[in-house]
Amino acid sequence: MSAHAVYVMSAYLVALVILGGLLVSSLATRNRVRRELAARGLERKK
Amino acid sequence: MTPKRKRLWLVLGSVAVLGCAATLVLTALSDNIVFFYSPTQIAEKQIPPERRFRMGGLVEAGSVTKSPDGQVTRFKVTDTNKTVDVVYRGLLPDLFREGQGVVAEGSLGSDGVFAAREILAKHDENYMPPEVAKALKDSGQWKDGKK
Amino acid sequence: MADLHFLANPARFRRFSQRVLPSLAFATVLMLAVGLYMALIQSPPDYQQGDTVRIMFVHVPSAWLAMAGYALLAGLGASLLIWRHPLAALMARASAPVGAGFCAVCLLTGALWGRPMWGAYWVWDARLTSMLLLFFLYLGHIALSRAYDEPERGDRAAAILALVGVINLPIIKFSVDWWNTLHQPASVARLGGPSIHPSILIPLLWMAATLFLLFVLLVLLRTDTEIDRRRLENAELQA
Repeated sequence: MSAHAVYVMSAYLVALVILGGLLVSSLATRNRVRRELAARGLERKK
Repeated sequence: MTPKRKRLWLVLGSVAVLGCAATLVLTALSDNIVFFYSPTQIAEKQIPPERRFRMGGLVEAGSVTKSPDGQVTRFKVTDTNKTVDVVYRGLLPDLFREGQGVVAEGSLGSDGVFAAREILAKHDENYMPPEVAKALKDSGQWKDGKK
Repeated sequence: MADLHFLANPARFRRFSQRVLPSLAFATVLMLAVGLYMALIQSPPDYQQGDTVRIMFVHVPSAWLAMAGYALLAGLGASLLIWRHPLAALMARASAPVGAGFCAVCLLTGALWGRPMWGAYWVWDARLTSMLLLFFLYLGHIALSRAYDEPERGDRAAAILALVGVINLPIIKFSVDWWNTLHQPASVARLGGPSIHPSILIPLLWMAATLFLLFVLLVLLRTDTEIDRRRLENAELQA
């Protein structure tokens, strides 16, 4: 890779952090909401 | 008219009105929205010396000369119609090449030479591997990056 | 009765999303692995830009998806305001942060591409400025939809913003043609066909398809969560 490899790598890293972060936070929110529903005795309807 | 119909027309109408308003505003402001002026526009506009603005065009092939210490670069920017001489002191971006696009920020001197304080390289919309570029050039099928 | 109507479409949506999500996730991971190999290793460097051109493989698909995501928000907004579609508001809430994420990726990778190639991280040209405006429209949508105590009012305010902001989409697309910009003109969606050699175009389209799957995955997953969340809120109101 050329002298600009650091820019290329940071660009892919930025994308990974933002999109990966979105995925992780979406999964975490889903699990939290499901737990709260279960705690209220409202099971998910199939 | 059912309420749904009415709401549909209301939404479509509002978006159309807003679109027209945006078009008018952007047309009125278009002189301020452009990022740079071409050498032809500069010739038409009679921009006073010492006023800062940006100029863009192609670096004329064969026009780039450097001072012996390599600090000062002189070149011509052209839009194939008009040409402006540019002088710049400092490091040039990687993509600064003869025949490639460039945007220079600075001001015109009283001698008509554009003294650039900042140089940005503009790249075109063509992407290809080096071998393909070479093959195109060798076979004489090379098209200019700009129309 | 009203409650049943509210659940009718979301329930069907949920059955659909639960069926497709696992295979969607599998396909996304598989395509991402191939896509990253193509983007970082197999594709050739550009004749002018060298390896820096590899930033394009995330930058350009993110820009497309940020714009497509906003078009989706506008469509959902219209469907909420005109037809009162029960699922539209929930899906809009779910997709706004996804679109904002892709928009942020586009802006940041663009800066990291601009610095080595143009010589500047950022310039205020029409393309970059209108893209930044898109990001703020996304933030405004997210903020508005959460600004009221009754979620329905927030949904409608955000829907109006989505419809107003949709005017920015043609401005982004055509900014490079209407005004002088530092950003280069379109390479793929343009008259006369793409000006990108197939060896670079194919990885670009592959990554675009991959990130599109990721976008759909995130929207389905988050809409599912929004349905649950709305049920939770309704239960709390009744309690």
